[in-house]
Amino acid sequence: MTAENRESAGEFRVVVFADFVCPYSFLAVDQMDRLARDYGVKPLWRPHWLHPDTPPEGAARDRNADNAARDERRHAWFKEMAPEQYPRMRFPEKRHYSFRAFEALEFAYDQGLDFPYKTAVYELMWTEGRDIGEIETLTDAAERAGMDPAAMKHALDEHLYAERAFNAVNQARELGITNTPTIFLGKTRINGWTYDEVIESVMEQQGVRPKVALAS
Amino acid sequence: MQPSYIVDSANAPWKRSASEGIAFACQVLLSGEDGGPEALRFRFDDCPSVYAHMHLTSQFQLLLNGAMDFPRGVKHLEALAIHYTDHNMPYGPFAVSGNHDMLVLHPQAGGIVSMANRDARRKINLRGRLFAALAADSEWQPLPGAQGATFKFLMPPDFGSAAVLARAPAHAALGMPAAEFGRYEVVLEGSVIMEGREIGPPGFRYVRGVQAAEPLVTGEQGASVVFLTFDRDALEGGITGEGLAVEAAAAMARAI
Repeated sequence: MTAENRESAGEFRVVVFADFVCPYSFLAVDQMDRLARDYGVKPLWRPHWLHPDTPPEGAARDRNADNAARDERRHAWFKEMAPEQYPRMRFPEKRHYSFRAFEALEFAYDQGLDFPYKTAVYELMWTEGRDIGEIETLTDAAERAGMDPAAMKHALDEHLYAERAFNAVNQARELGITNTPTIFLGKTRINGWTYDEVIESVMEQQGVRPKVALAS
Repeated sequence: MQPSYIVDSANAPWKRSASEGIAFACQVLLSGEDGGPEALRFRFDDCPSVYAHMHLTSQFQLLLNGAMDFPRGVKHLEALAIHYTDHNMPYGPFAVSGNHDMLVLHPQAGGIVSMANRDARRKINLRGRLFAALAADSEWQPLPGAQGATFKFLMPPDFGSAAVLARAPAHAALGMPAAEFGRYEVVLEGSVIMEGREIGPPGFRYVRGVQAAEPLVTGEQGASVVFLTFDRDALEGGITGEGLAVEAAAAMARAI
C-alpha cells in the first residue's frame, strides 16, 4: 500500500498520551489539530495521569520563593517555546484534578467527538482559567464540542466511565509513558513536546504527505 | 603517537561575554580549529531562560557547580551532573543558578544553532539521544584491581557514549581502554599526572585512538576523575562548508 493510499484510508496512527493539566500538552493541541487538518489523520488522545495524588478539589500551590522562581522560569520558557500561544495562556493557581476529565473524554469518545472535546477542555483550562476538576467546566466543553451537556453530567455523576478511564490510565503506565505529551506518529515515538518542524519531518520520513501536496 | 590534548583549565584566561542577552564568563580551552576537540567552560550569570539550541556535534556538559533546570524530561540538575546530547540534538530552554560553572566538551567544533531558527529545526537529529544524570544518584563501587579506589557509572553502561567517575588514593594508575571516538578525562578533585604534567581541577586530557592512552597517575592527595567517552556519533556533523554549519560556527564565534 502506498503512503497516499495509507493516508487516504486513514490508517496512519497518531496517538497522544497527555494530561489536561500539563501546559506542554496544551501546546501540542494546536499541533495535533493542525496535523489532523493538514494530513487528514485523526489523532487519538489518551490519558497519562501526571498527578494521581491530586484530590478532586485540586491542590493549592505553596507561595514560597522556590515556587516563585519556578514560575519565573516557566513563563520565560513558554514565552520562548510558544511565542504565539504564550500571550493567551493562563497558568492556574492550583493543580487541577484531571481524572474526571479523563472520564469525560471516554464519554466523548463514544460520541465520536473526543477530538474536538479535548481541544475544548484544554482551551477552557489554559486560556479561560477554568477548573477542569469541576463538572460544569467539563459539561461546558461538551456543549462546545457538540455534545449533550446533561448526558455528560449524568455520566460523570454516576461514574459511568470511571473504570474505562482508569484502564486507560493503566495502559499508559504499562506502555512506559513517562513524559506528557508522548506522541506516537506511526512508528515513531516522541517523548515530550517538540517543534512543528520535527513533527513534519517525522511524517515525511514515514512517507505521509500533507493533503495539499497530494492534491497538487 | 596518538593525538592527545592536556589542558590546565584552572590557569586559562576568562572572558566576559553575552549571547542573546544572556551574560556569562567563558574560557576557550580547546578551539577545535585544528580539526580536533573543542572545549569551553561557561559560568552563566543566574538566568531563568537560556535559549534552546543545539550543536552540530556530540556533546558532554559537565556541571561543576550550581544548578540547571530544564522544562521537559531532564528537569533539575545539580553539580556534579552530566548532560549528554548527540549531534544536532536540541535542548533547552533552561535556567541556570547558584554560581553556575560548566564544562562543554565536544569531539570536534560544533558551533551553536538557536532553535528560534525554523530552518534549523528541520535539521534536528530525529534519532538523537539525550541523557542527563546527577552523580549523587548512582552508587560507588570498588574499582577492581585498585586498592582503595572506587568508581560509579554516570550513564548506563550500554548507552554507547559513557561517563564514569573514579576516585583513587595517591599514586594510583587509572588506565582506560582505547577511545576510538575520543574521550575527555577531567580532574574533579586532587591532582593527576598526565604525561609528566600535574593537573588540578577542572583540568583535563583529551585522547583519541585505537590504542589505549598512557594511564593517568593520581597525585599526592589522590584524585577524582571523570572519564567521558564518545561513541560513533562523534563522527557525525561538525563544521562543514554547508550553510547551517557556517552559521553555527559564526554564531559560536560571536558568542565566545
